[in-house]
This record gives sequence, C-alpha cells and structure tokens, in this order.
Amino acid sequence: MTVLQVERLTKTYRGGVLANDDITLDVAAGEVFGLLGPNGAGKTTLVNQVLSLLVPDQGRITVDGVDVVRRPDEARRLCSFQPQAAAPVEGLSARQAVEIIGSIRGGRHAAVRARADELLEALDLSEIADRPVRMSGGMARLTGFCMAAVVPGRVVVLDEPTNDVDPLRRRALWQQIRRLADDGAAVLLVTHNVLEAERCVDRLAIVAGGRVRAIGAPGRLKAELGAPLRLECTLDPDAPAPQLPPAASLTAMTGRRLLAHVQLADVGDAVAWAQRAQDDGVITEFSVAAASLEDVYATWVQMEGTPA
Amino acid sequence: MTLPLMRGQAWRSYGLLFRWQMLRNRQLFVLLMTIQVALGVGVIYGFSYLVPQITPEVALFFATGAPTLTLILMGLTLVPQETAQARVSGRFDYVSALPVPRLAPMLADVSYWLLVQLPGTVVTLLLAAWRFDVHFHLTGLVVPAIVLVSLTSAAVGYGIAVTFPPSATAQVTQFLSIALLLFSPIEFPLDRLPGWLQDLHRALPITYMADVIRGGLTGHYGGSSTLAFGVLGAYCAAGLALSVRAANRRS
Repeated sequence: MTVLQVERLTKTYRGGVLANDDITLDVAAGEVFGLLGPNGAGKTTLVNQVLSLLVPDQGRITVDGVDVVRRPDEARRLCSFQPQAAAPVEGLSARQAVEIIGSIRGGRHAAVRARADELLEALDLSEIADRPVRMSGGMARLTGFCMAAVVPGRVVVLDEPTNDVDPLRRRALWQQIRRLADDGAAVLLVTHNVLEAERCVDRLAIVAGGRVRAIGAPGRLKAELGAPLRLECTLDPDAPAPQLPPAASLTAMTGRRLLAHVQLADVGDAVAWAQRAQDDGVITEFSVAAASLEDVYATWVQMEGTPA
Repeated sequence: MTLPLMRGQAWRSYGLLFRWQMLRNRQLFVLLMTIQVALGVGVIYGFSYLVPQITPEVALFFATGAPTLTLILMGLTLVPQETAQARVSGRFDYVSALPVPRLAPMLADVSYWLLVQLPGTVVTLLLAAWRFDVHFHLTGLVVPAIVLVSLTSAAVGYGIAVTFPPSATAQVTQFLSIALLLFSPIEFPLDRLPGWLQDLHRALPITYMADVIRGGLTGHYGGSSTLAFGVLGAYCAAGLALSVRAANRRS
C-alpha cells in the first residue's frame, strides 16, 4: 500500500536555484526507499517538503492520502524524522532525548520507555545512555535516529543516518532501519553510503541536478546498466592516464580511482589489458567484480555531468 | 478529536517542551539565576548613583521599574537570542517539525526564563523596599500583569528572531534595549519625555506595561487600570497571533 506519494514536485529557491524539478516517486508501507545523489542534488529540499518545512512551487505530496502541503499539522503527526544536522540533544542524556520525543509524539510512558531501552540496547548505547554529556558526532546521530524511531510516523524520514557512525554500530543501525519498515513504516532514506544502502533499500531514486535520473529496485537498475562486471583500477600518480581498451567503457574517474564497465564476453581482454598496464607501471592494482549500485550511481551522476 | 482532548494534548506538549528546556539548560540555571539577581541589585544601586536625590516618587519608579524592565528585556533579548541560536543549530526546524501546537515552544521558553528571573525579581523588590523605604501592596492583578508583559514582549522578540537573519538579531535586540532603557517611561514618569515621544508612547504598550506592574505591586495605577490592561491585552493577542503566523510561515 502506497503511504507517501510525491507527484511532479518542483521547488525553486529565491535567487532562481531550481532545487527540485518535476520529481515523482512513491514509497509503500514496509518499504525502505533510498534517495541517492551528490551534494546539492536536492534530496534534503525534497524531504523538507515532505515534512512541510518548505512549500513546493508546484506538485503534490500525500501521506496516507492526506495532502500534507495543505495540512502541515498532519505532516508533523504522520512523519517522524532524523535531520541532516545533528538532532538537538545538547544538555540531555540519550535516554532523556529519546523519551521526550517519544512522549511528544504521543507515546504512552511505559511503551516509550520500553522502546527507548530496546533501541539504545540495539545500537549499543546503553552504557552511555544516562550520561548527559556532550556527545560525539556519531553518538548524537544515533540518538537522533532513536528519536525518529521511538514512536515512528507512517513515514520515517532519515537524512544521512549513518554519517559519523562507527562500522559496528552502523551495521546495527541498518538492521534497525530495516526493522522500522518491517514493522509497517514507509522509510525514506537519504544517504551517500551507496554500497551499504544497496543491502538495505528495497527501491531507490538517483537524484542529480534536482531531477530523478533513475528509479527502481537495485537489481533492476544494475540490470539496466547493461554491463554485469566492473573493472576497478588504482592509477599510478606519476604515470599518464591510461587509454582504456574497447572491451571496457569508462564509468567514473575520481582521483587515482578508475571505474569501467565490462561485458562478460570481454572480461578476458579487459584483464589482459589491466595486467599489461600494471606491468608497465601505469596502474598499481586492479580488480574485476560484479557491478554494484555504486556503478549505477556513478553512471547516472556522471552522465548528467554532475560531479560525484 | 474532541476539544478537551486537544486541549489536554496541548498542555502535555507544553509541559514536555518545558521539561526539555529545563533539562538542556540545567547546568546554566544557577548561573543565569545569579546573574538576574545581580542585575536587579545593579539596577537598584546603579540608578541611585545616577539620581542623587531620591524622592518617594523616584523610588517608586525605580523599585517597580526594575522588574518591569527585566520582564521586557527577557522577551526582547533572551527569547530572540535563544530563537536565533536555535535557528542556527537546527533546533528551531527540528521543533517546528514536531506535532506540537505552534505557540508551545515559545511558551515553554518564556516559562523557563520567568522561572530564571523569579528569585532576581523578589530580591530586587526586597532590596528596593529596604533601601528606598518603598511600601508594596501586592494585588491579585500582579499575576496577569506579569503574564501579559512577558508574553507581549516575547511575542515581539520571537517576531524579531524569525524575521531578521540570526546574525542580525543580536544587533536589533541591543538597539531595542537601549531605546527601552533611555527613552521609555519605565524608570521615570511619562511627562519627562518630549511631547511627541509621549504621544508615541500612548500608542505603544511600554507605558501600560510599566503601569500594570506598578499597579499590581502597589495598588496604585498611573491612569485607568482598565485602559492599561485593555491596551496591553490587545497588544498581547495581536503579538501572539502574529507569532503563530510566523511559526506557520514556510518558505
């Protein structure tokens, strides 16, 4: 069942910056929907309109059939969120912050307390949960997630939830994000963490320059890429950039890292080329692997001429 | 949803936001309270240096003007500065996206600052009574007077904070503080000001703010108490309505 419906959304800031251009997407109950895109792509502008903090120039946003552009009070009731900036937890312990937001969102005291315990335990925050100390960036972000998840809305908006979080807690965080959806919420997830998001999202949209460039399940987007393998090379900084063989097509080049697509039939030629380039000292190492969501992302962002 | 239930939830939201405000500022609470006490003491002693001949009328204005001034300055400086800081840190947007009545965050802030100021106000009044031999006759109207003065000032301060860029808020509030201190009939009678400024003040709420607090503390009003409460009530209602509108405004 569709919970969040965004239709032909356009938003221009003062000064003429077109932040969202005719965006259409939908998120169903039980679904984790990823919004991927480079900085300045318009992702946060989009979620701020869902939360009714910004008003679109054109288009419609509904949550459970309610037009939240006209009813911002309903947007606040139906959506819980974790902001891109750190949640305002200064002076509070993690438990106090989570319990206050749970109560503000209408949770009953005992239920809020139990859920706060559960979340803090799951994210390995129990030991520090009762200390009202200045939190590190990662701790504040995890607490911000708990504040969004303690009494979740029909839509849970998470804007860069994994930033600054250590790898072990990040793994636990992805599990909790998945669980929110399994419990029936529609999760709208903004992230730069393409590789990890691939394991968690059901569908995603790649946004660049304010427009949706691609939308669908990760598997389908990878299939549409038309190349099942990726060749990744680390270039020698002192050598000139190498000329790729016809068997490989360039996807992205960032710093010393080169990514190229390779068809199954051409993998032998591509590996032979890479081995020669390594022997000649043009590249320092290379690998061939199955194409990932990162390749899809890089292809679309690169294709639109937007820096990744 | 029935009206009493909505009202119950509104009070609950206000209570939770107030608790949040108390918790996040608890480490500063004693320090801020001490500063308010020191300010009250400073006003009583400082003004007595400024005016060497303290007549009973002057003493009355000093004693009742000090708490009025601190209540107005709370609304016009502390509330907007706190709101501007919240806009910069992202707290303002965070709270704006919570399912709470639009005025609840501002009311929670005002309640917190009133609590911070309470000991300072009591100390100021006791000190004034001792130093200037002023006799107070507290009336029940002092409570609505304090509420009206605080809310009207806070509504204006909130309006400043959401209208001006956060970086300009401190300058605007400092300008207003100076204007209040030097050109408003709080610590001195209205007739000391030039005619045009007297006319202006008859239309502004400041004269009435000083009058309702003075009347609530002494039982004696400078003019009609009905007029003073009426004008102030109208300003307060308009200020709160504009605050709700500002809180609902989305770009």
